[in-house]
Amino acid sequence: MSSEIGETGKAGIVVASEDAAPAEKLAHSLVDDLLYNVVHDLLLKVHRDEKIARANTAAIKVEKLAKSTNADPKPDVEIETDAAIYKDGRVTLKSNPLKSTKEILCSKCHLPRLLHPTDGKGAKKPDPGVIYCKKHPYIDKQGYDIYGQTWVAPGPGRGKKKKDQKLDPNDPSSPATGLEGSAKDRPANVLSYPSATCPKCKRCILVTRLNNHMGSCIGNSGRNASRAAAQKISNGSNAGSQNNDNTPPGSQKGTPRPSSRAPSPRKRDGDEFDEDAEDSDTTSNHNAAVKKKKFKPSNNKLTKVILKAKSPAIAGNTKKEAKAKGSSSLNVEQKASNDSKTNGNHNAKDTSTVEVAPKKQAPKSGNAGGGNNASPAKKIKLGSSKPPLSSSAAGGKKGGIKRDRDVESESSGTVPSPPPR
Amino acid sequence: MSARPTTPASPRNFKVKAPQAGQPMYGCEHLQRLFNQDQVTTNTSIQHYRAILRSIYDTNPLVPQTAKAGEGVVVTTLTPTYLCLQCPSTLTEEERTRHGGKKSHRFYVDSRSGALYCQMCDDIVWDPTFEEMRLKKIGTGTFSNRKRKHEEMFETSDPVRDNPTYLSSNTTAASCKSNGLRGIYNAGATCYQNVVLQGFIHNPILRNFYLSDGHPSGSCQVPYCLSCAMDDMFQDFYALETTNGYTAASILSGFWFSDRKAFENLVATKEQDAHEFFQFLAEELHERNGDGKKPETASEHMCQCIIHQTFYGKLESATTCQNCGGVTRQIQSFLDLSLPLENLGHKKGKKGSQQRTSLTLQECLDEEYIKQDKCEYRCTNCSSTQQARRQTSIKLLPNVLSIQLKRFEYKQGRNERAAKIDTPVHFPLELNMLPYTNRGAATRAQDGNTNGNTTNGTNGINGVNGSGASKPENFELARTCTYDLLSVVVHVGEIDTGHYVTYCRVGDQWFAFNDHRVELAQKSDVLNAKPYLLFYVVRSLS
Repeated sequence: MSSEIGETGKAGIVVASEDAAPAEKLAHSLVDDLLYNVVHDLLLKVHRDEKIARANTAAIKVEKLAKSTNADPKPDVEIETDAAIYKDGRVTLKSNPLKSTKEILCSKCHLPRLLHPTDGKGAKKPDPGVIYCKKHPYIDKQGYDIYGQTWVAPGPGRGKKKKDQKLDPNDPSSPATGLEGSAKDRPANVLSYPSATCPKCKRCILVTRLNNHMGSCIGNSGRNASRAAAQKISNGSNAGSQNNDNTPPGSQKGTPRPSSRAPSPRKRDGDEFDEDAEDSDTTSNHNAAVKKKKFKPSNNKLTKVILKAKSPAIAGNTKKEAKAKGSSSLNVEQKASNDSKTNGNHNAKDTSTVEVAPKKQAPKSGNAGGGNNASPAKKIKLGSSKPPLSSSAAGGKKGGIKRDRDVESESSGTVPSPPPR
Repeated sequence: MSARPTTPASPRNFKVKAPQAGQPMYGCEHLQRLFNQDQVTTNTSIQHYRAILRSIYDTNPLVPQTAKAGEGVVVTTLTPTYLCLQCPSTLTEEERTRHGGKKSHRFYVDSRSGALYCQMCDDIVWDPTFEEMRLKKIGTGTFSNRKRKHEEMFETSDPVRDNPTYLSSNTTAASCKSNGLRGIYNAGATCYQNVVLQGFIHNPILRNFYLSDGHPSGSCQVPYCLSCAMDDMFQDFYALETTNGYTAASILSGFWFSDRKAFENLVATKEQDAHEFFQFLAEELHERNGDGKKPETASEHMCQCIIHQTFYGKLESATTCQNCGGVTRQIQSFLDLSLPLENLGHKKGKKGSQQRTSLTLQECLDEEYIKQDKCEYRCTNCSSTQQARRQTSIKLLPNVLSIQLKRFEYKQGRNERAAKIDTPVHFPLELNMLPYTNRGAATRAQDGNTNGNTTNGTNGINGVNGSGASKPENFELARTCTYDLLSVVVHVGEIDTGHYVTYCRVGDQWFAFNDHRVELAQKSDVLNAKPYLLFYVVRSLS
């Protein structure tokens, strides 16, 4: 189609040699023309976006000026800027907006747009004195997302290596998450896993465990459901033997996670919550236990807590504890972060707070009555109706293993935790 | 092309677009002068501009690409030419300057884009009035106001949009920061859900539906309604400033609570097939929003629900009996097109004597919707089982075309097992579906009769297939069959374990979604991916 004369097309980049055959010359000029078109189309697109944005900026500016100079917006004001004229309520351009207008105002909020990303490729430092429109250029940086956020790399196997409990307080998707996550000790742009509430049992589950949890909590319809029901009933009748019945039918079927496969009920329950424990310093196992404890809502008195009852109860702290436990939906992650933060203070606080944990347990043990013997696992089964049980179970597990430590850590953990909302 | 003001004596007076806040009224001072001369000038300018756009978009590109290059020399070029707005000349770039000096014609239209060039500015000018016409022409093919503009299909549609005060007083403007770009946390092997959900989130039709309160989640009584969950998700994505991942708890629970038997095996904590989840989600949402009838796969059932309007098209298969020549036609609706890769890959491999070759999407489509296959069927005329030829083509194209490439095949034989086909399949950013429709087939037959040329099925982006193509209707037809790539779902890993990631386009920018991670993606990243699911959106929504 091209009848360009000469060895090349319009772009003049793909050039055939002088002694090339005619077909070769034609091919070169075709490719060159196509290259020109590609660049032309690209340029036109960018030009359009940029010029319209600048023209609108000029219009916004002059309109603003018109409004500010005249209290009541009469249309007969006439305002002139370098780029535009406001007259009779209309805006007309004065010259090419690409030349006359240097910045771009957002057409929605009328704030200047940040024109360069703040990080990564092509980054420039924004002027700290300017309030920019919230729409920022996307960041292109290895290991970071478009908002400059980064992630905690998942460790080998399940769970995350590092503690990543920082919550975004704005996250609406996880209403259960606490608002005042203490994130001061880690960079603000590290994303973490939030928790969400299971709509059925209302328990607060870390998002990475959510699917497994729902599998066991909601589970399949039909055969499995009836089987689960039957299991529950049998569990209820013989409270003493929990070990075999612990795994919910759903997870029996096909959960890939090691946690769900665990034969002992206690372990399973623990897993549901110990994600955060793992996240927090691995060295401090007891911390994890503490967190779990917090989960217990005040209403579940029959839970493992009893195990801890051994430690002497101190009345003074009870109140506090109850408060902390009041809401079943406390956020796992938040607590974890608190824990980590408070680790340093740990010892100091221990003395004062240690008492808290035992104290709480005392009343619980009373309620539980003969429940002391019951293993945590059993309770969980019963607990489909009682959401908070699992947490208690988890605590119980820990308690069973190392009670003494638990007590200490528990107290330390609980004190700093913010009151539930 | 409708309501075309053919006669210059047409009493219709064209108006310049009404002034809007935050936008200058004219593209430049010179256009302002042109429009303010008198009504006649305005009328002719706008009429000429329309005629030029028509010649650019509705005729053979040879016409606008052929220009005067000087005294008596006429060239046809690949590169842009300039069509004078004030007279019927088409000029090359060099000649344009001379023409301007001689005749004082100052405005020209770029032949490749329809953009207006002002010689006095020496720059392309984006005038609100002209630009609106251009976008309408690109988007819908007409200048009529009834249809939505190309750009506005990406805004929420509202019947009372014309009244700006109504809109501003009844809507809460989302923050400039909220743009629908968020990851979705993996809730434990749920990446197959995340990729499909991201595809839905960035689907402009579904987005408009949910953001314009299409599903009344406030009054919905269905417990654990998936459509309500979708509604929540759209709100969270497009109304909040949050930039971290989304926790799709309500979707997940709706999924677990669903009693849809056909997808019972999906309800497991294992890794699943994203395509199955897509089907599940589509049918579930259809049930929540539609006529309540269960969709039957082999029927022609169409309902007015958002899912049917978005994803469903119709296939027509014509079976021709080889004995009596009788044709049986069967029509069924489809949610997606499933394209087998294995046979084609083998065939190609033999031909080219290569072990692993790559395929193109068009080749796969050719195989299914252009070529005929043989089958046995019971002919009612002959009342016996006969050999027959069957040809399947698309009768009705959906607004969002979803294509599944069958990468997971169940191998039969001694050691039965499922295997993944890793053959790369090249797919275009812009897909012309005309050849695979029954109208495309008809055009092909026509062309075949006149030209003896039937091989043209795959190459046309603008659908210029031989002789019939110069008619405007064919350009119109081709335009309605042009699709733009919207999202790509990619499976990495093996058949039994792996990971799904997805690429979605927002405006012109591509993003890579990997669970809760959102990163910028280049077109080359997208096009080099090995697709499993492809979503194309029709270019002109009408």
